[in-house]
Amino acid sequence: MTEDKTKPIIEAVNLCKYFKTHKGMLHAVEDVSFKLQPGKTLGVVGESGCGKSTLGRTILRLQPATSGEVLYEGENILKFNRKEMHNVQQNMQMIFQDPYSSLDPRMSIRALIMEPIEVLGARKKMSASEEKDRVTEIMEMCGLPKYYNNLYPHELDGGMRQRVGLARAMILDPKFIVCDEPVSALDVSIQAQILNLLLDLQEQHELSYMFITHDLAVVKYISDMIMVMYMGQVVEMAESSELFAHPLHPYTRALLNSIPTIDLSRRNRERITIKGEVSSPINPAPGCRFAPRCPYATEACKQNQCLKEVGPGHFAACTEGSL
Amino acid sequence: MAIFKKKNKKPLSEYSTGELILFRFKKNKLAMLGVAMFAFVTIMILIAPLIRPYSMVIKQDIVHRLNPPSKEHVFGTDELGRDLLARILYGGRISLFCSLAIIGIAFVTGAIIGGTAGFFGGKVDTILMRIVDMLMSVPSALLAMAIITALGNGVWKLVMALSIGQIARFARMVRSSVLTLRNREYIEAAKCFGSSSWRIIMKHILPNGIGPIIVSATLTLGSVILSISSMGYLGLGVASPTPEWGTIISENKVNIQYFPYLGIIPGICIMLTVMSVNFIGDGLRDAFDPKSKK
Amino acid sequence: MANEDRTVLEIKDLYVQYNTDDAVVHAVNGLNLTLKEGEKLGLVGETGAGKTTLALSILKLLPDKVGEIRSGSIIYKGDDLVNKPESFMLGLRGRRISMIFQDPMTSLNPTKNVGDQVLEVINLHFPDLTAAEKTAKVDEMFRLVGIPASRKGEFPHQFSGGMKQRIVIAMALIAEPELLLADEPTTALDVTIQAQILELMRKLKDEFNSAVVLITHDLGVVAEFCDTVSVIYSGRVVEHGTVEQIFEGEDNHPYTKGLIHCIPSLSDTSKRLKPIPGRMPDPRNLPEGCCFADRCPFCKEMCTTTMPEPHEKDGHMILCHLYDPKEAGND
Repeated sequence: MTEDKTKPIIEAVNLCKYFKTHKGMLHAVEDVSFKLQPGKTLGVVGESGCGKSTLGRTILRLQPATSGEVLYEGENILKFNRKEMHNVQQNMQMIFQDPYSSLDPRMSIRALIMEPIEVLGARKKMSASEEKDRVTEIMEMCGLPKYYNNLYPHELDGGMRQRVGLARAMILDPKFIVCDEPVSALDVSIQAQILNLLLDLQEQHELSYMFITHDLAVVKYISDMIMVMYMGQVVEMAESSELFAHPLHPYTRALLNSIPTIDLSRRNRERITIKGEVSSPINPAPGCRFAPRCPYATEACKQNQCLKEVGPGHFAACTEGSL
Repeated sequence: MAIFKKKNKKPLSEYSTGELILFRFKKNKLAMLGVAMFAFVTIMILIAPLIRPYSMVIKQDIVHRLNPPSKEHVFGTDELGRDLLARILYGGRISLFCSLAIIGIAFVTGAIIGGTAGFFGGKVDTILMRIVDMLMSVPSALLAMAIITALGNGVWKLVMALSIGQIARFARMVRSSVLTLRNREYIEAAKCFGSSSWRIIMKHILPNGIGPIIVSATLTLGSVILSISSMGYLGLGVASPTPEWGTIISENKVNIQYFPYLGIIPGICIMLTVMSVNFIGDGLRDAFDPKSKK
Repeated sequence: MANEDRTVLEIKDLYVQYNTDDAVVHAVNGLNLTLKEGEKLGLVGETGAGKTTLALSILKLLPDKVGEIRSGSIIYKGDDLVNKPESFMLGLRGRRISMIFQDPMTSLNPTKNVGDQVLEVINLHFPDLTAAEKTAKVDEMFRLVGIPASRKGEFPHQFSGGMKQRIVIAMALIAEPELLLADEPTTALDVTIQAQILELMRKLKDEFNSAVVLITHDLGVVAEFCDTVSVIYSGRVVEHGTVEQIFEGEDNHPYTKGLIHCIPSLSDTSKRLKPIPGRMPDPRNLPEGCCFADRCPFCKEMCTTTMPEPHEKDGHMILCHLYDPKEAGND
């Protein structure tokens, strides 16, 4: 059993996802590899269009991968057939960004939470009363009052809806949850409630999260490891505290510098505003994709760059301009 | 009405989804009026033999031609002296049955074609929608005429011919509503816990997309009744002397100017039917939507 | 700059409500606010606190028949806008008071090129200028917001989110308004783009010396951009002060404190967040007394029965019984 502990629950190996568009191939996820240990959280940060959501969906096989492997407990699930996939699916769930569109408006809260057992848990052979008990148990676990049973999503506020989404993901007792911007649409006071609930559930059930967000403060709070993505590529990956203490990649540094905080002493900091905007990685040229916006770009940046281990457990594609 | 009476005993929160839908439907006054009107029309048509024998439909009485409504002929007589009430009662059988069957067939086929095209997309979508475009590019009357000419005359063949002309509309409508729903996150969530495509269509897409389609189906009913009659006028499908609401209007059109009851009475019948179905459709749409306050 | 402390906008005891079919929604409940020339005021609050309603009330753009200003006054440079006719407001909107909306995607007309959309604002407010002068003004504005004038002929969909927001800002500022209302101008944007837009607004504010009301839910943005902050809760300003008083001061309204504790900090780690329990009261059914009472860790009996009076010290206003002079003496 002790050996199992160190075995990653989810591992991605050179995962690529391209989309065909009328302008050419869009390289949404390019050559991403990572390992996630049980009970840990991997934060994935990046700006919109950097491929972080696509990565999450590709790992859950909601979209077919172009190449590479996704290993769940050592087995490549991309090769699984329908039946094998059903077995793994119980252990891999997802919660979504928009608590308004991720719940079917025509279903009551109970029906929504129960749906996964109806679909997947049928082989667990639960009786109707056991199912009902399970729903009650899970609703309590996620902080939903019992009388919500027969309410409809439009009658709840954003925070409560997000709890319903979480309850629905938790009902199958999964081991791994992809959280796609689960708190971005919520107010700060509600956001803190949901984040704490996520942490509580992680402690109680040894859950592993892949936490996708654009909010760096949130990702720092919840993650053990952080992966920074830019235009489909991982530019830097490190332990959470290490990344914030010693950001190496020019993009990571600009990103950290841009976060507005309530720390007034940062008001007069030297601002690293990066010029220009993210374009979409359609038929990208080889080399660093950040180069067009990078203040340190040189001719050498047109060469292909890969992640290098620059410190223990700290990977970066580039360290130009860091101290 | 059982649920109405129980209303005070059982709190709304304990209703099952089906009961809630029924409850919301019954609370909708307009929908209930629609049900009453539709029931009235249907019952009258069904008990027609009790009111007038079928022989009166075709019995001509030249002496009493174009008589206005009187005690003997409640709705009056037409230019051949046939009793209008009998013609409307028996004509309703064909009008109502055919139009409902046409809408039903077109709705189901259109939903299957449009739903498949919208849900699976890609090549399936392209092929199915090009077929639908081909259907749409031919005027529906012409299409129906061609089909009847090929298949021969008869009520069933008329139903087939006219419903094919309507399929395209429904297919287009269903496809577009599926396309907007397909990318909702709750569909993705359902995929996440392994729902099959069939389940997603039946449990998530259908209940969410059906509302406007039902309404449009009920609105189409009126024009279908009239198109049955225009087919009849061309001698296709139902032909005189077999009565049918649209035919009754068209065979009397020369006399409508001076004997308006000949147009008004069958017109009211068509209007009542279309309105009642429309009210029911509206009621259904609201009943299925938990957000509606009614 | 002798008139530096002249008041641009003064809102006194404003009540705004929405009359819907089945209830009356009390969106703004006795709100007070003053804004001086050239001041950058941050209006912070959660969804439903009444921030946007306030902005719409100032411009009198509340939805017809539903939104209603019940009482109070909105005094803009000596004119009480509440009683002014629509014709007066037309001369004000876009000319002297401009607004930037949250979603740059929907506030531009997709069928018109962006140059013409900016030009339209000039045609409306400066009809006397010659065509050449107008074009020069448009080009100058494009330069200021950092878009090459050569892109004037392009349509909104050809621009990214950040660029669209720049165009919206250009439209809002071209008439050099005295007051700019920015409703969540950066919420839909990425952090690096947000930084660019805030930098741009800072630069333009210095250029035109407009007063700015920045409406946002993001305390970080307020701390970066604003001079003064008003914290709004349930349609009332519960705390008002300078950024220093709000973010670094000792005394704060319990709600402000709660909000600050909810934000994950970048500097210190491993501590659990302290969320504010519960949620904002239903605006259709407001409680008696302090609206924050049932979520407040310092709630006393009187908080649930009587509305606290504003307590002010060095321009720092707190609406809470905790800071009552009488009460403080007892503690």
